[in-house]
Amino acid sequence: MNRRHAQATSRAADASMTLINEVYRRPLDPGYQEAAARRADGLAPRRTARGAVALLVLAVALGGFAATAAVALRRPAPEALQARTLLENEIRERTATADELRRGNAALSAEIARLQQRAASTDDPELFAQLQRDAVAAGVVPVTGPGVRVVLTDGVPDANAAADDASSYVLDVDLQVLVNGLWAAGAEAVAVNGERITSTTAIRSAGAAVLVDSTALSSPYTVEAIGDAVAMQTALARTSAGQHLASLSQYGIDVAMSSQRTLDLPGRGQIALRSARVAGADETTDDADPAPEEHDVLGSSPRDVAGSSRPDQEEAR
Amino acid sequence: MIALIGLVLGVVAGLVIEPTVPAELQPYLPIAVVAALDALFGGLRAYLDGIFDERVFLTSFLSNVVVAALVVFLGDQLGVGSQMTTAVIVVLGIRIFSNAASIRRHLFKA
Repeated sequence: MNRRHAQATSRAADASMTLINEVYRRPLDPGYQEAAARRADGLAPRRTARGAVALLVLAVALGGFAATAAVALRRPAPEALQARTLLENEIRERTATADELRRGNAALSAEIARLQQRAASTDDPELFAQLQRDAVAAGVVPVTGPGVRVVLTDGVPDANAAADDASSYVLDVDLQVLVNGLWAAGAEAVAVNGERITSTTAIRSAGAAVLVDSTALSSPYTVEAIGDAVAMQTALARTSAGQHLASLSQYGIDVAMSSQRTLDLPGRGQIALRSARVAGADETTDDADPAPEEHDVLGSSPRDVAGSSRPDQEEAR
Repeated sequence: MIALIGLVLGVVAGLVIEPTVPAELQPYLPIAVVAALDALFGGLRAYLDGIFDERVFLTSFLSNVVVAALVVFLGDQLGVGSQMTTAVIVVLGIRIFSNAASIRRHLFKA
């Protein structure tokens, strides 16, 4: 150490280069030289059996480590792959859980309906009839009947269109306009891809997907509406919704409308209202005229459905 | 000789068993491999110089790997991990180059 220090001070010209010199001129571990010197002087300690075993163990460990490190580095980005698999698994698990919960929900709704039916039909037939009507109007129970089916299919994007060009895809606003138009045309129950539209349903877009009540749907979108099929089709064609549908074809979106003899729309299940309370709770049972109320429920649906996040989209079309 | 046999045994074992490296150690693998390479070249040069010593070889191997990983780990903690990695790579790279040049002189006399 002392000798090296003396050397460095004697070469003051490249004093600032000592680090580089140190690295470059003495690349070999000085330990080798010292060990050789010790051996030459006969000072080297005798090799014991224990020392040899320790050396062997150390060598095996280092070799194993080096091989392991090399193999691990040759694998393609393991943690990115792992993270991806992990996320995929999680998505699959959560989706399965959500499906299970939804099935449980449907079963419980059916049971509630059955129990209500049993309780109300014997005690108070009038109340039961009103309950049935309200349940249909609120979209809680499955309904069946004749109606119209409209299928919207995404167009094929132009080859020279930008990758993020969404004009050939069915947008949330298209479904909003269509559902709104169907309500206005006298539909009594509407569902999109089996998702029943109720008074609390929202249709919106999240990224490339269209969400109906937080359920992501993809093309083709099947909108089914129960009502007088002929009257609905005529009324729909007269409204601005009909014009909107007609204008979709110029974006390559396929619109197919057909009348169906029987449509089976699923129920939404019980809707949990957290903030809303019935105004004057004691008035609910002695409602003399249920018909206007039913109309109110229906009338409120299009308003909820249509509150779009992208009103400018409609003008753009 | 013991060191060489041990290393070969270890490499074979590592290739056959393929143990998984913990995720926390993953970022230090490249630097450890470079440090191991440096030790290997140093050992080869010492052998050609006629001053090879197994004990020195293995301890320098071990300390190289550990210190290199430690320096980078410290750099990571201080937020200069990539710069530390560069520094270690530069130093070890220069040593590998000059050792390799020395080995070349030994082998080809040129």
